[in-house]
Amino acid sequence: MMPSNNPTSVSATVGNRLRLSRGGGLVGLVKSLAMPLVLAAFATYLVIGIITMRVPPNAAFPGPQFFPGIIAAGLYVFAIVLGIGAVRAVGGTPDAAEPDERTVGVDWRSFAWVVGSFLAFAFLLGILGWIIAAALLFTGIARGFGQRNVLFALFVGVTISSLTYIAFDMGLGLSLPSGILGWAF
Amino acid sequence: MDVLVLLGEGFAGALTWQNLVWVLVGCVLGTAVGVMPGLGSSMAVALLLPVTFSLDPTAAFIMFSGVYFGGLFGDSITGILLNTPGQASAIASTFEGHKMARNGRAAQALATAAIGAFIGGIVASILLVFFAPLLADLSSSFGPAEFFALAVFAFAATSSVVTDSAVKGLASLFLGLGITVVGVDGVTGAPRFTMDSPNLFDGISLITVTVGILALGEVIYVACLERHVANKTMIRPTGRPWLSRKELKEATPAWLRGTAIGLPFGVIPAGGSEIPTFLAYGLEKRLDSRRRKPRFGTGAIRGLAAPEAAGNSTTGMAMGSLLALGLPVSATAAIMLAAFRQYGLQPGPLLFERAPDLVWALIASFFLAMVVLLILNLPFAMVWAKLLLIPRPYLYASIALFCGLGIYATSGATFDLVLLLGIGLLGFLLRANDFPLAPLIIGMVLGPLAETSLRDAAMSANGDLTTLFQGPIVLTIYAVLVVVLAVAVRNRVVARRAAARTPERESVDAS
Repeated sequence: MMPSNNPTSVSATVGNRLRLSRGGGLVGLVKSLAMPLVLAAFATYLVIGIITMRVPPNAAFPGPQFFPGIIAAGLYVFAIVLGIGAVRAVGGTPDAAEPDERTVGVDWRSFAWVVGSFLAFAFLLGILGWIIAAALLFTGIARGFGQRNVLFALFVGVTISSLTYIAFDMGLGLSLPSGILGWAF
Repeated sequence: MDVLVLLGEGFAGALTWQNLVWVLVGCVLGTAVGVMPGLGSSMAVALLLPVTFSLDPTAAFIMFSGVYFGGLFGDSITGILLNTPGQASAIASTFEGHKMARNGRAAQALATAAIGAFIGGIVASILLVFFAPLLADLSSSFGPAEFFALAVFAFAATSSVVTDSAVKGLASLFLGLGITVVGVDGVTGAPRFTMDSPNLFDGISLITVTVGILALGEVIYVACLERHVANKTMIRPTGRPWLSRKELKEATPAWLRGTAIGLPFGVIPAGGSEIPTFLAYGLEKRLDSRRRKPRFGTGAIRGLAAPEAAGNSTTGMAMGSLLALGLPVSATAAIMLAAFRQYGLQPGPLLFERAPDLVWALIASFFLAMVVLLILNLPFAMVWAKLLLIPRPYLYASIALFCGLGIYATSGATFDLVLLLGIGLLGFLLRANDFPLAPLIIGMVLGPLAETSLRDAAMSANGDLTTLFQGPIVLTIYAVLVVVLAVAVRNRVVARRAAARTPERESVDAS
């Protein structure tokens, strides 16, 4: 009866039963191999770290490398199992979708808006200050969610970023950067 | 009756006017986040965690208890009015709750849910008062081998029993465990996997991971699907927001049965309140089919009352095992554990000796939070539902803004914001491939405990790893784990056979 592994996302989050399509052929194979590749890459990072680790000579067994070693081994095993499963799934017939489920593709333009806005926010925060940078982040993400009226979104964004600045920086004493607005005062 | 004296002192500590304000703020924020579709109490706690740094510990935890339970009161509102459960534990109550609302009994459905959540929570809190000190006494005899066994139990239960693909669950768990080993090793002082960057010497903070995985990952994910989403119409409740005597008589046994089912799951590290809510729903359904006039399928009040009570009694008891054992059984409890660590407190048997005033004030604040939440939810459920009218672009843009605020306020470094985005992308990838997220968070939280207890046990036995499987308590824990896994495998086989035999009936049940 459980809808999915993360019942609060996809189907439940927005009240629609959606399912991401993998696509067939080579593209589908690359997409379904993404997770196994991430697992294998992380395991490799751990292995390199274990080999190059500078361990103090007095460390007794099990030392700082023991537990990460188990994790890296486990990650490799799961990557291989999932990778084999992905290759087989592409060759075989796709699973039958449930009756009220729709398969849809990822909207990469929205993806780029959201990720790009956050990346820009991360690097511009120190220069522009919280109020401007957060307002731009807000506008960018609203745009990613299909908000066409950018000026109105910017207006809402400035309101929210100013209110949070007043509440958290001035009220609760968290330190948020004032940026270029700070030089004026 | 020592505990009653201590509880009384706790109330005395909690009942200052500042603390009452924090309970109220916590309850309002928790309910508000819980009402929003897709955001549960774990996200509310994760987003608010950095904000509380400037408060003193008692005030912060009192506020958290409001947030913790507020999320559970709020999530059923969306389920009932929109057929969109706010989090996994609200799915079971959505089935009958939404049908009640469609039959024009929305106001009564909201009242049933609020009272159910109240009963479950208050019974769990009362039991917790007497039970937690006993549990703390018991667990003071636990050594590293016992804690390692408990961690293994939590890992196995969350990654394979709760999810439907054990390999995906385990992969997610190991990613979480892998993140915890980054940083300077506490035992030998050797820097591990830091690429000699001072940003990573302290490791990757649990807050960054939970906010990235649960909040930012969700924002990216929903953005990618936004174009395909159709808006649903919300049912506007009218009429009396209270229950008639007949309805109370009908619902009371279900509330109590639900509470009883939920309680034991608060102590078992099996991933929180999803399982008990479904068990409670299933039990009511089976009992109902024996009656002369079965009500299920037409908006049965019992089908809503039982899972609501079960969900909150599990959550209440989960707080007990967190305080007494230091063992989080759900993602929300895991973030609460991080909150304790932030204040230099380690939940577990010693906490009751080291900071009794804080613990008892926290337990007392559960009772206050329950009462405040009942008052906030019974007459004002409709006001909360208005939050659903915020357009999604602004809602999710605000969530992203608060992610940035929380993480920057903790560290003040661009590096952590970029790390947050990277983890958010990982969360997106996990969601898109239908990997469960809860095991990653549990692995992240219990990873350090598992590693240090593993090494402590092995080192004190001169590197002999068999010491991890000795002792009566350890063997009992592993035996229970074997039984749980066997039952889970059997249930899965039975369910698969049943699904193969009657595919049509299954789809009717799930809708």
